[in-house]
Amino acid sequence: MRLLQVSLRGSLLFSLMMILVSIPVSFFTIRALLNEEVDESIAAQADQFIQHIQSFEYLDDLETDLKVLDKLSSNIHITPSIGVVHTNYRTLNLYDSVDHENKPFRRFETGVIIKGKPYKLIVRMSLLETNDLVKAIGLVQLAVSVILVLGLLFWNRFLSRRLWKPFYKTLEQLKAYELDKNETVMTEESNITEFNDLNKTVSHLAARNHEVFTQQKEFIENASHELQTPIAIFQSKLDTLMQSPNMTQLEADTIMELESTAQRMAKLNKNLLLLSRIDNEQFLSKEEIELSELIQNQVRILTPFAGPAGIRISTRLEKLTIITNRTLLEVLMTNLLHNAIRHSPRDSDITLELEGSKLHVANTGQGKALDLDKITRRFKKESEDHNSTGLGLAIVRKICDNSHYELSYDFKDAKHVFTVDFQA
Amino acid sequence: MKVLVIEDEKDLLLGIQSALWQEGYVCEAAQRMSEASEKVGLYDYDCILLDLNLPDGNGLKILEELKQKGKTDGIIILTARNSPEDKVAGLNLGADDYLAKPFYMPELIARVSAIIRRKKFDGSNIVTFNEITINLPGKLVSVNNKAIELTPMEFSLLAFLLANKNRVVSKNAIAEHLSGDNADLLDRYDFIYTHVKNLKKKLTEAGSRDYVKSVYGLGYKFTT
Repeated sequence: MRLLQVSLRGSLLFSLMMILVSIPVSFFTIRALLNEEVDESIAAQADQFIQHIQSFEYLDDLETDLKVLDKLSSNIHITPSIGVVHTNYRTLNLYDSVDHENKPFRRFETGVIIKGKPYKLIVRMSLLETNDLVKAIGLVQLAVSVILVLGLLFWNRFLSRRLWKPFYKTLEQLKAYELDKNETVMTEESNITEFNDLNKTVSHLAARNHEVFTQQKEFIENASHELQTPIAIFQSKLDTLMQSPNMTQLEADTIMELESTAQRMAKLNKNLLLLSRIDNEQFLSKEEIELSELIQNQVRILTPFAGPAGIRISTRLEKLTIITNRTLLEVLMTNLLHNAIRHSPRDSDITLELEGSKLHVANTGQGKALDLDKITRRFKKESEDHNSTGLGLAIVRKICDNSHYELSYDFKDAKHVFTVDFQA
Repeated sequence: MKVLVIEDEKDLLLGIQSALWQEGYVCEAAQRMSEASEKVGLYDYDCILLDLNLPDGNGLKILEELKQKGKTDGIIILTARNSPEDKVAGLNLGADDYLAKPFYMPELIARVSAIIRRKKFDGSNIVTFNEITINLPGKLVSVNNKAIELTPMEFSLLAFLLANKNRVVSKNAIAEHLSGDNADLLDRYDFIYTHVKNLKKKLTEAGSRDYVKSVYGLGYKFTT
């Protein structure tokens, strides 16, 4: 769940609860307040009425007048009472003969003494208007609540769009960040201190990582370059030694071993250099290449090297045109084929199949499945072969990764099958 | 035949010089840009071996100077910075060949010889050695004026050994010359032995003396 959703959920839940609580609370409060008002108004009316009546106490037939008044008036009733009447307020539903329905009324009851005789005074007032008022207030409140919720939702969107934009932008950049490709993370200046801090830290971290990475890459390339000259000197000295006459068997053997070792160093160095060149993206130029043609060509070149050991290379290739760097593609194919030839036993078959976008290179080999991750790691050799630098398949993997080809491995019918999907 | 070696590593320079002397080249040396550019300005060379990484500048400047002066010395670039860009830049500036360090000495000598032949004997690039005649561009070989048929591998082998005559050429150097990057697939199968054997057979059968001698444990030598 997104941070904003969490905080929104909290505030929405809280506002909803508050609204739910506040509606009955305010409903009852307002009603109570209004009833109080009504009560006060009824009481005032009763007071006024009593005072008014009392000012007519000099009239002799006041009793009769009161009876008439009781009959005529609808809201004020005054009747002689027998016992003591306690002052009280009550809400009642009374039948309205005009509208033929029950209507809420507030009734005030009290006792008065007029001319020494006890009377019961009832004053009542319709609550219909008050109820309308309560309803109106309730509606307004509901409307306000809806606006509040909608407002919160909009505010949230606004926040995520504007306020949190730099954060999400940084996040996106981080997701897309690749140590070997991007130099640093491009962040956006924001007026929020925390975001700026975050951005600064992230940029710094990324830049530092990239720097270390670049230094390391450059170190490998420079080290490989610097080793070339000493190896060249070594080889030239061996050549000088070789020219000396009357060499013993032991000396000759030693010189040859040294030369083979120098060759191994040179090859190792060359492969390391190639790896770091791929890393440093020095193979940028791309062209359209017909893959089956390129493979046929490589097979033609390599057949003389496989033939003496009775290794047969057969091909079944469909046409496939890809756009890539020619050198890298050639290195990829050469390394795959070298690997297959080197690990094939005598008198066996290597098959190359290009189907759709997939190339399968299969060879017979040691009778156990290999771990692709392990054999494509640098300097992880499965064989004891001194001629193998342990970098061939690492280079294959590097080229596949860099060109977005998918490299997979399968052990089927006692055959090692390497598959490159050129359109993965 | 005059060769100038421009190389700042003294040990390598001496190795190259001694190998070239053995093959009968007159060899001069320069270890710095200033020295090199002075010599290039004063004399004409048949071939210049040029290291690009010199302590006082980039060797490509020498190429520019030569180009400005309209000199046609054959140039082979030697470099430890074996990058495609350098190669293209060098060849564009008029270098004739490009050899990455480290290299086998016989390979260097074969390249020098090829450059000189191309520059000097333009068009009629034919090497004659006693009864053997080799037409390099046409890849034809004849013994006592009688053409013999060699496979491309055998032809390359003969040309390579002849360019290095009287020097021991190691099996490794031959393997690399014949098969380049595929050399490491070879040693399991006595590939070179087979080709040398066939070449010797074809040459002697055509009436040539047996010049190609096996140097036990090391390689082969074209002896005169």
